[in-house]
Amino acid sequence: MDQFIQQFLTGLSIGSILLLVAIGLSIIYGAMGIINLAHGEFVMLGAYTAWFLQVQFGMGLLTSLVPIFILVAAFGWLIERFVLSFLNNRPLDTILATWGVGIMLQQAVRLTAGGELRYVKMPEILSNSADVLGVQISLYRIFLLAASLVLFAATWLLMNRTTVGMKLRAIIQDRSVAASFGVNARRIYGLTFAYGAGLAGLAGALVSPLKSVSPEMGTGYVIDAFMVVVLGGVQSLVGTVASAFVLGELSGVIAFLQNDTVAKATVLLAIVVLIRFRPQGMFATRVRA
Amino acid sequence: MMQPKSADPMSRYRPSAELIAILAVCALFVVVPALLNNDYLLNKVARYLVLGMLAMSLSLSWGYAGILNLGQAMSFGLGSYAMAMTLKLKTVPVHTGPQGLPDFMVWNNVAQLPWFWWPFESQTFAILAGIAIPAAVAAALGWFMFRGRVTGVYVAIITLAAMVVLNLVIIDQQQYTGGFNGITDLAQLELFGIAFDAYGRSTYYLVTICMAAALLGAYAFTRTKAGLIIQAIRDHESRVRYFGYDVGAYQIVAFALSAAIAGLAGMLYTIVMEFASPTFLGVQLSLSVVVWCAVGGRQSLLGALLGAILVAGVQGALSESATFLETWTLVMGGLFVLIVLFLPKGLAGLVSSLWALIRQRPFRPFRGVHGIGQTEGGA
Repeated sequence: MDQFIQQFLTGLSIGSILLLVAIGLSIIYGAMGIINLAHGEFVMLGAYTAWFLQVQFGMGLLTSLVPIFILVAAFGWLIERFVLSFLNNRPLDTILATWGVGIMLQQAVRLTAGGELRYVKMPEILSNSADVLGVQISLYRIFLLAASLVLFAATWLLMNRTTVGMKLRAIIQDRSVAASFGVNARRIYGLTFAYGAGLAGLAGALVSPLKSVSPEMGTGYVIDAFMVVVLGGVQSLVGTVASAFVLGELSGVIAFLQNDTVAKATVLLAIVVLIRFRPQGMFATRVRA
Repeated sequence: MMQPKSADPMSRYRPSAELIAILAVCALFVVVPALLNNDYLLNKVARYLVLGMLAMSLSLSWGYAGILNLGQAMSFGLGSYAMAMTLKLKTVPVHTGPQGLPDFMVWNNVAQLPWFWWPFESQTFAILAGIAIPAAVAAALGWFMFRGRVTGVYVAIITLAAMVVLNLVIIDQQQYTGGFNGITDLAQLELFGIAFDAYGRSTYYLVTICMAAALLGAYAFTRTKAGLIIQAIRDHESRVRYFGYDVGAYQIVAFALSAAIAGLAGMLYTIVMEFASPTFLGVQLSLSVVVWCAVGGRQSLLGALLGAILVAGVQGALSESATFLETWTLVMGGLFVLIVLFLPKGLAGLVSSLWALIRQRPFRPFRGVHGIGQTEGGA
């Protein structure tokens, strides 16, 4: 039984990290139809900012979360404004442009911060572990789970309960009609992309104490996050949450039985088979071409 | 010199210009060894030609069929490993354990040759497999994707993910694949009594002949009816579907054909480099292929090929100094973004619009005269 609970909690922990990384990607893809291949690099940027703030200014991880969000979001806004907004009707080219931006970011970080692994300290108060149903689990992992759910809730509220969110939903439905009602689509797109980038930065900062920080760390994340989005269905935030935890549990179990690589391969195979029969994803409520 | 019989003489003229250019480039590479009396450089040129072939294969699926395969290096790597496996089994006994067991298997305490290595005792099988396995994998992946009517960015990400996962599996299964180190210390390929030394002319000509055959084959394919339908699908998928064509089947064929060419290129790469490594199906290479294609011109087979040779050549020339190489990646990323933004048809697009401009000027008055009697002339 203990074994089972342990396994379940591990899966939950993997799922919460997946969710953290995937929300930003999902928002940007759902709203703008852009697969942001620089997403992983935004995650990496967040992790490096956390490391930088810690080493240079001695800031703790929790206090540096807000500046990290703002910094990475601002960076995302610049990318949207000066690169992606030129590619309005060329969705395939946005993938390429973001990929190019990603390489530049990766290389720029490698040249400035160095290619070696960096480590971010865990906040003191969260470094202990707690007893959950007779199983020891690190407080930090519980914090991550909570953080991912809070960020999801915030995103959901932003999308469904604010004016900006309403404008964004209007643009998703029909951009030109929304524009004729006075919605400034370019501005909203810029904000959306910035928000998604900021979330990626937060995700990077939050996972940085658990994993080592390196310029290449983003590549793995962006693929995992995309799997979450494919499984969850586009434009479905709830689907993103569900699929993040389904994939988290699945990866946890297979990694326990075999190893991480086999888990990754199995998840990919499952998703490739799935899209043949349900291309709109597991949890999509409505389908649009 | 030009007798405009059709409404638009340019469209009749352009294909033959492209064919002439292809033949000229092939001829150029055939005479390179006569001008280059340096085995090391010859090996380098052969390497660039193989990479050019890889870029050309991506141009076929991306530029012509509209299938952006971010994992093109997966097919390349599969071909490369197929060749490396058979050459490893033929290598001199210094690099093998008892019964010709590859050395890395001995180090990993593998007692017997695993079953999937058995057929690679036959070189003929390996050469066929190096083309057929990538094509079959692509066809299977394509069946799931294109039958599920998945297009665009989904295809891009799934191909990328498939490659990353295969790369991880190869590194993980060290006892069967050589893991991170890849498969090294290979024998030389021997075909019809000719030994292919990586630094010899025979290898160079083998590469050139394969490249020319693949290029001309791919070019011929794009001129067939199937090739035209594939381009129509790229431009407007649902319209072609309404005409009653099986869109998925055409996409699968184009995807598999492109993978087969990439697999052939991978086999040649193993011969030229004398090893196979997981980096051959890494993100870095796959990205480079996309960049080469974009620089050269994704909608031109020849453009993609030359783009690869140009960019890889410049990179090779710069790689003497490590700091320069690192900045180069940065520059390449920036160049790539700029080309995507402002030159989506790449250098080939630039050349053909310049060409059109040059050709158009002197003919303009005559075209106007012809235009009077033609319904489409003025458009």
